[in-house]
Amino acid sequence: MKNRADQPARAITRRKLLKASAAGAALAAFPAPLIAQTKPFAGVTLHGASFQHRFFTLLQKYIPEFEEQTGMKVDLQLSAFPVYNQQANLELSSGGSAYDFVNVTFILAARWVAAGLLSNLDEFTGDPNLTPAEWNPKDFVEGAQVPYRDAKGGTYGYSWEGGAMVMGLSRMDLMEKKGLKIPKTFAELQQVCAEINGTDGASGIVAFRLHHWNLPPYIQGFGGNIFRNPPGDIMPALNKPETIEGIEFYAKLLKSAPKGVLTYTEDQARQSLLTGRSNIFIHSSAWVTPILLSEESKVKDTSRVVRMPAGPVHDHPASNSQGLGIPKNAKNKKAAWEFIKWALSPDISMRLVKEHGHSSVCRRSIITSDAYRKLNTVNGQDLGALYLEVLELPAKGENYMAYRTVKEFPIVGDVLNKAFEQVATGQLPAKDAMNAAQDQAIAALRRAGTQL
Amino acid sequence: MKQGGIDEERRRFIAFALTPSLIVLFAVAVLPAIYLVVTSLTPFQLTAPGSATDFSAPLRNYGLLPGDPRFVNSLVVQAKLSFWGVLFQVLLGMLLALLLNVQSRFVEFARTFFLIPMVLPPIVVAVIWKLIYTPDISPLYYAAQALHFTMPALTSSVDFALTAIIIADTWEWLPFTFLMVLAALQTIPDEYSEAALVDGANRLQIFWYVTLPFITPILVISGMFRLIDSVKAFPLIFLLTSGGPGTVTEVTNYYAYLLAFDTNEIGYSSAVTVVMLLLVAGISLGLVWMGRRREAMA
Repeated sequence: MKNRADQPARAITRRKLLKASAAGAALAAFPAPLIAQTKPFAGVTLHGASFQHRFFTLLQKYIPEFEEQTGMKVDLQLSAFPVYNQQANLELSSGGSAYDFVNVTFILAARWVAAGLLSNLDEFTGDPNLTPAEWNPKDFVEGAQVPYRDAKGGTYGYSWEGGAMVMGLSRMDLMEKKGLKIPKTFAELQQVCAEINGTDGASGIVAFRLHHWNLPPYIQGFGGNIFRNPPGDIMPALNKPETIEGIEFYAKLLKSAPKGVLTYTEDQARQSLLTGRSNIFIHSSAWVTPILLSEESKVKDTSRVVRMPAGPVHDHPASNSQGLGIPKNAKNKKAAWEFIKWALSPDISMRLVKEHGHSSVCRRSIITSDAYRKLNTVNGQDLGALYLEVLELPAKGENYMAYRTVKEFPIVGDVLNKAFEQVATGQLPAKDAMNAAQDQAIAALRRAGTQL
Repeated sequence: MKQGGIDEERRRFIAFALTPSLIVLFAVAVLPAIYLVVTSLTPFQLTAPGSATDFSAPLRNYGLLPGDPRFVNSLVVQAKLSFWGVLFQVLLGMLLALLLNVQSRFVEFARTFFLIPMVLPPIVVAVIWKLIYTPDISPLYYAAQALHFTMPALTSSVDFALTAIIIADTWEWLPFTFLMVLAALQTIPDEYSEAALVDGANRLQIFWYVTLPFITPILVISGMFRLIDSVKAFPLIFLLTSGGPGTVTEVTNYYAYLLAFDTNEIGYSSAVTVVMLLLVAGISLGLVWMGRRREAMA
């Protein structure tokens, strides 16, 4: 006769069966709260990776709560932006399973989605046992979600951060003295920059050296684009007359910028704006709105933040977003979804806004909430409404930001950067520089194996 | 027989002592170099699975290099940067060493002071020069303004950007040549210059006929070290100009960096690096050969 210790470990006793049945019935009745109670992911170590960003630094403060709720451990690796992109590219392209969740980088999203390197998240959001109704995937701003969709409309990422290009003016006092109004067109922008430049030691405009982010809204404003018709047709369009017109306009605009602006970093440009040494800065809201919100700002009383001016053909301020997704070969997909669901939940999003003033979230319900509006309305300016308006634009009509989500963009963007600097410094006339850039971009793409 | 045994034992001891170092050297220097060459024979791109092992057209990358205007331009920029940088560093280092080759407490302090740039981390040097070259915060520009002199933005000017890099690079590495030459100067016996003085030679003649022949080998070696190192002026270019404006300061290693890290063309970037490696090795061997020839002639 065998004693209890001799019984096989997997033997099902009547008591165990009753316990399991009771637990199953309870799980079916109350699926969401039970995650915290039963801790189905207890013992799981979730591996995730992203580039360093304030969002994750803040999120890390809350992760112990998530670990407590679910019983899993979160191993979040944060690297510098280029380093992360290389690691993730290599990991996903080689079919690795080192990560359970990853940042879906905006500029790489289209390639990763098209190559089938990510899991379709509709499988998770479509299952009420995995996603409660109140999580509401449709709450994410549509413009921020566009990069994470495939041709059939499947979703491969949910955006945790949005960047919407807006215009900050730091010296409205000078503008008012000169009788200048906030520019609404490119022509007015040119005039305001030129007239303010040099007044009271302030430059007309400031920018930074990532030209392939700053410049495309001007190219598109004149009707041009980086590629002929992205994401389908990626033949470079750098020497089209509209593109050249945009390049010439931006080069002329920077004549009202501080000396050495071509080598300015984002921080330098931001400081120039915050101290009132430059009147206008057009960049993502996170970089511009500090003139009204930051304690560093010396120009709070004389600043405004508004939409960037419209071009004669298009009104296309740039925008982007970063998403969280699950690699196709991840080992713990359900656990990863649990993390994404939690990290992008309305609750965490609102806490980030309220407790840390982190405003670049992508949930419409948060951006339009009273609490968000209260925190982000300064001197009568509703920064949240402006942010939302710009972030939504690429989803209305053509997705004009598609140029930046194709994998060929970094190659063509690098060529564009160099060509623009040649024009801005007078090394070459715009037409010659852009003709050479077009040839170089095509040669570089072919060298990289792109079929044109 | 016994003598041979000792020799054999000694040889074995030397081999035994050297083996760990050789293994480490092989692992950290030779293996990556071999991998670099292997990679250069593929169209390896981080965004293209399988491309790392595609050897179907092994010389394709090398064939594309001569027709790549940015690569050719980067070689020219590198040559200018290396030539002027090494020339200034060797000449100024020698001049400084000659001036400070005296016994004095103050001079000893000054020597230590001059060594500071060399011991700073390269990225710190780049940040210092970034501040100096940024017009709206730089003391250099404030001084110029006070003197009613208008200075252009050095790092974004087509005419000055490369010069700005050369100045910063010279500031950083001048102490190296200074230290080498000073050490050489201190080994020259005083009797030679004293004898020349008795024979009626002036200071210039003493320098030309006595001092210079003594320090020439050191100047050549310093120049060679600096030439090899000048190819690595990466932090300055990365932080000060990003290779711009346009491609005015885009040296070969910065171009290789852009290819590998911005556009993910690892295979092509490896080919650029291999060519750069061969050019540096060729120049170094040429200089060594010249040095030996000179010694043989002497």
